[in-house]
Amino acid sequence: MGLDHLDLENQTQQNLNEETKPYLTALIGWSLPAIEACDKLDKPFVVVGPPEFEGFAEKNDIKFIGWNFDQLNEGSDQLFKKLKALGAEVAVPLYEECVEWAGALNSRFRNEPRVFNRSLLLRDKGMMKRKAQIAGIKVGVFEEAHSKEDVRRFLKRVNEALLKVEGDKNDPIHVKPLDKAGSVGHRAIENPEEIEALTDADFPLLMESHLDGQEFSCEAFIHKGKIQFLNITEYVKLGYSNFVPASPGLEDKRPLIRNAIQQLVDAFEIEYGVIHPEYFITPDGTLHFGEVAARVPGGHIFDLIERAYGFSAYQAQILCSDPNTTEEELRNFFPEDNGQADGYAGCLMVHPHVNYIQELEVPEELENHPYFEKHDMFEPSQGKVAERIGFGNHYGTIFLYGEDSETMRELLEKYEKYDFYK
Amino acid sequence: MSSELTDKKVDRFTHALNELDKAAAFAKSMYQTDVYQEASRLMETMEGMETLFHFANRFEEAGVFANGPWEDASKLQPPLVAGSLKTKGLASIIEILSDLRMLSIAKGNYDHPSMGSEEAAEFLNEVLALNLDLLFPGDSEEARIEQEENAEQLDRSQRFFQFLFTRISSDALTGTLREEIERLMAQRPIMVKRVISMIQMAKKLLNNSEAGETEHPALEKYIKAIEGPSPLGENTSNLNDYRKKLKDLSEEELKQEAEVLSNSMQDTGLVAPQHAVLVRFLSRNKPEMLSDALSLSDKGKANLEEHFDLVKQLIKVGIYPATGQAVYGLARMLDRGVFSYSPVIPGLRRLIELDIKPEVRKDLLNAYQNRQGLTANTILLSGVISVLGQPLGVGQGLNPTCQSARGISLWAQHAPGYLLELIPRAARDGDIDLKFEGTPIHSKDLKGGLAPELHKELDPVSLVLVPHLDRIYNEMMTRVALRGEDGHRWVNPAFYGNWVQTGFSNVIEPITGTVTDYPGYVRLFYATHHPEYNDDYELIYPNPVGIFITNVHGKLLGYHAVSILRIAQVPSGDYRIYFYNPNNDSSQNWGQDIEPTVSGNGELEGESSLPFHEFVSRLYAFHYNPYEQGDAFAVEDEIVEEIEKLAKESWGREYTWVNI
Repeated sequence: MGLDHLDLENQTQQNLNEETKPYLTALIGWSLPAIEACDKLDKPFVVVGPPEFEGFAEKNDIKFIGWNFDQLNEGSDQLFKKLKALGAEVAVPLYEECVEWAGALNSRFRNEPRVFNRSLLLRDKGMMKRKAQIAGIKVGVFEEAHSKEDVRRFLKRVNEALLKVEGDKNDPIHVKPLDKAGSVGHRAIENPEEIEALTDADFPLLMESHLDGQEFSCEAFIHKGKIQFLNITEYVKLGYSNFVPASPGLEDKRPLIRNAIQQLVDAFEIEYGVIHPEYFITPDGTLHFGEVAARVPGGHIFDLIERAYGFSAYQAQILCSDPNTTEEELRNFFPEDNGQADGYAGCLMVHPHVNYIQELEVPEELENHPYFEKHDMFEPSQGKVAERIGFGNHYGTIFLYGEDSETMRELLEKYEKYDFYK
Repeated sequence: MSSELTDKKVDRFTHALNELDKAAAFAKSMYQTDVYQEASRLMETMEGMETLFHFANRFEEAGVFANGPWEDASKLQPPLVAGSLKTKGLASIIEILSDLRMLSIAKGNYDHPSMGSEEAAEFLNEVLALNLDLLFPGDSEEARIEQEENAEQLDRSQRFFQFLFTRISSDALTGTLREEIERLMAQRPIMVKRVISMIQMAKKLLNNSEAGETEHPALEKYIKAIEGPSPLGENTSNLNDYRKKLKDLSEEELKQEAEVLSNSMQDTGLVAPQHAVLVRFLSRNKPEMLSDALSLSDKGKANLEEHFDLVKQLIKVGIYPATGQAVYGLARMLDRGVFSYSPVIPGLRRLIELDIKPEVRKDLLNAYQNRQGLTANTILLSGVISVLGQPLGVGQGLNPTCQSARGISLWAQHAPGYLLELIPRAARDGDIDLKFEGTPIHSKDLKGGLAPELHKELDPVSLVLVPHLDRIYNEMMTRVALRGEDGHRWVNPAFYGNWVQTGFSNVIEPITGTVTDYPGYVRLFYATHHPEYNDDYELIYPNPVGIFITNVHGKLLGYHAVSILRIAQVPSGDYRIYFYNPNNDSSQNWGQDIEPTVSGNGELEGESSLPFHEFVSRLYAFHYNPYEQGDAFAVEDEIVEEIEKLAKESWGREYTWVNI
C-alpha cells in the first residue's frame, strides 16, 4: 500500500466517524474555565448544563445538551443515551450537584455499576464519614439528625463527654446539610437556643464535634487509583483566604498527608478525577478527616494552582478523569509532585462588612505591594449587599503572588480585616 | 506618578488585552474583567488615556465589548454616553473604552466593518457637544454636589473629555455645537436657558482652542447676541452705565444702536440684556424709535402706533433685563396684530395689577434666580407677552404634558382672549374649569394628573396653567376610559375647544389593540387632509393629532401629541405637513430616514415639517371634519403601500396587524 493510499484511507475513516471519533468528553455542569481547558487540550467535548445556557452555547458553537440536574426520574436514562449517541465516553463533574450524574454516566460508559455507588458516597456527608471511619480513617464524632431533638441530644452528649459542668462554655458542634457543597448551609451551634433557628427544611443534616487544629484542603489528581499530583492548600481563614502551595511547616507533613490521601482513595475506591478533601492537623501531626468532594474546589484554588505550578488544574482534572489518558501524557503534563513551586499564589475573597455600599476603596499600599497581582472589584452600580450563601457569593477577589509564605500569610490576614467596601 | 509605575501598568494592560485577544469567543467574559481593571488604572492619568488610545484599534476585535451593550458600535447613541459615564463603576470604564474605539475609527487607525471614520467623528463631536459641562466643569450647585459624591468617576470622565478634546478637531466640535444651537433657535423657543448655557460653553471652547477659525464668526454671533451685540454694550459691563451712555447718544447713534440690537435679535431669536434697557429707554424718551428697536413690519408699526399707550405700559411693567427675552415676544406680538382681538387689551391690563396667589407667586419668582427686584406680575406679564408673540415657542419642558402645551399654544394662536381668561383664573383663584359634556370640571377638585411633580423649568404661562390643565385633561380621559373607543375623540374637542373637528380616527382598535384596516385609515387621512384628494378644503385651525415616537432605529418609544398647522406644496412639487411639536426639539431622527426639519423646507418660526407620507407613517390618531371629505378611493395604492411598509417596519412591529 502506497503512502498516498494510506492517507486516503485515513481520511475516509475520519469522515465516516466524524461524530464519534475520537470520542467526546462530557463536561457535566457549566464552567467556562473547564470548557476552555478542554478546548485547549484539543479534546472534543460536549457540555451537559442547565438549559438556560443553550443560547450561549449555540452562539459559540459549543456542543450542548440542556439538562435539569434536580429532576430525577425515569427520563434520566435519556441523558446517557443522548451522550452515547454523540460518542461520549467520559463524564467530568464540574460542581457538587453533578457528581452523582457523572458517576452514573461513567458507570454506564465503563460498565462498572459500582462507580455510581462510589460517587454517591461523595454526595452524602453522613455516609462519607461512616465509610471513612470503617476504613480506619480518623474522624470526629458525628451523627445524622432528623429533628431538633437529635441536635439537642448531640450537643449535650458531646459536651458531657468533654466533662463540662453547668455554667461552662459549651464546645460548639457543627451542623451541615448532607449534600451541599463546602460551607453551604454550615453552621456552628454552641447553645441550645441556636437550635431553634433550624427549620424542617434543614433536616436531615450531619452533626459533627468541633475539631481543633489547622484546617487545610488537598487537591489530589487521581488516575488509575494513584495520586498523580498532590497540592496542599493552606487555609488562612476558611472561606476568606487561602494560598497554594502550603507553607513549609505544613509541606513538611506532605508524606504523612500523602499517605492519608492514598488511604482515602483506596477506601473510597476512587479511580479517576480530582478529589478535594479537607483535614484538620493537630500540632502533634495527627490528621482528622473532615470531608471530601470530587469536583472543582471553591476558593479559586484551581486558579491558584495554575499560578503556582504553571499547569491548568481544569485540564488536569479532565485528563485524570479519562481512563484512556496514558501514563506518558500524565508525566508530561504534571510537574514533579513534591510541593515545590516557584512562588506562593494566594487569594483573598472580599466580603463587604456593611449592608449598603457607598464606595470601593482598594488602598494604594496594597495595589503597589510587589505581591499584588490583580483584583476584580468595581464600584457597584447599586449598593445593596446580597445575602450570603455559603462562601460562594463574595464581592470580589484579590490575587497575590510572591516568594515567601509568611509575607503571604501576613498580607492575607491584614487585609481580611480591611473594609474595601464602605 | 513615576514612569516606572506607569510602565508596569502599561505592561499589565498589554498582558490583559493580549490574553483577551487570544481567548476563544466563548471565553471572552473570563478575560474582560482584567482588561477593565487595568484600563481603569491607566485612566487615572492623561498619559494612561494616551496609552489606551494607542491600543484602541484592537479593542473590538480582541473582544473588549463582546456580549455587552457596547458590542455594536453602529448602534450606539451619543445622548446615552453621559448616563453611562455618570454611572458608578464598570459602565463608565467600558463607555470610555468604547469612545476610545470610536476615536480610533475616526482617526482612521481602525477600519471598522460597519462604521466609517466620518460617522465616528460625528458621533464623538456630538458626544462632546452634549457634554461640554464635563469639559468645562461649572460651579453650579448641582455640579458641585455631583462632584463631591462621585469624585472618582467625574475625575475619570473629565480626564477623558480633556483627552478627547485634544484629539478632536475643535473646528468640527464648534461646528456641531453651532448646528445644535441653530437647530434649537430655529424654532424660536420661549425658554432659552439651555441654549444660553450652550452658547456660554461655546465661548469657553473658543477661548480654549486656537483652531475653529471657520466656525468663529457663526458662534461669535450667538455669543454677542446674549452678551450685547453693539460696540456700546460691549465696553459696558454694567447695565446702569449702559443706560447712562444711551442718554448721551445722538439721534443717529441711537438709531444705529437700535438697529444693531434688533438685527441681532431677528437673526438669532435671542435678546441681550442691553436690548431691554434700550427698549425701556426708548419707550420713555424716543417712542418714535421703538419700532426700529423691535424691527417691526409695517403691520407691527401700525399696531404699535395704534396701541402705543398700552405697549408703553407693558414695557414698563414687563420688560426688564432679566425678562429681556420678552422683547422678542413683544415684537412678534405686534407683528401678529394680537391687539385687534378685542378681549386682549383689557385682558393684558388685568394682569398688571392681578392679585396673584402666594404659591403661584413663589413658583414664578423661583423661576428666576437673578430676579433684580422683579415682581411676580412682571414675570407673568412678560411670559404672556412671549406666549402671545410666539405661540409655537411654548414647550413642555421636561414634563409629559404635551397636551397642555398644545392647548396653550393653540389658544395663543386663535383664542388669545380665552387664554387671557384662563391665566388670571389660575393665578388668582387657583382654579380653572372646563366643561365636559355639559358638566364643569374644576381643577381645584382634582388631584394628580400626568405630572404630579411638575418640572419647573417652564415659561411663566405654562408654570401657572399646566398644573390645572394637566389635571383636567387627565380627569376627562378618566371619564371616557370605559367607552371602548379612544377617548381623545371626545376629550380633544372638549379640552381644546370648538376649533377641534369632531370626526376622529385611530389606527389602533381600542378593544383588541390590533391594527385593523390600516389602508382605510391612511386613505381617510389623505381624503381629509391632502390637497390633491380632499376637494381643496384648507386646514383652518391646528389639528391636534397623536403620533408614534420612534427612535433612530424605528423602534417605538411612546406616544406624543403634536398639532398639524398647515399642509403646503414645496417648490419640488411634494407636499409637506407643517406641525407644532411641544417638545421644542423637533428635529430628531425617527428612523427609516424620517427626520423632521425645522428650517430649510419652508418652515415658519417654530414649525417642524415632514414630507406628507412620512408624517402619515407615524400618525396614530387625527380629527377631521366629516363634512369635508374628498375621494379616499383616489389615493394611489403605491402611496398606501409605501406608508404601510414604513409603519409595519417601525412602530407596527409592536402590534398585531389584522387585514379585513
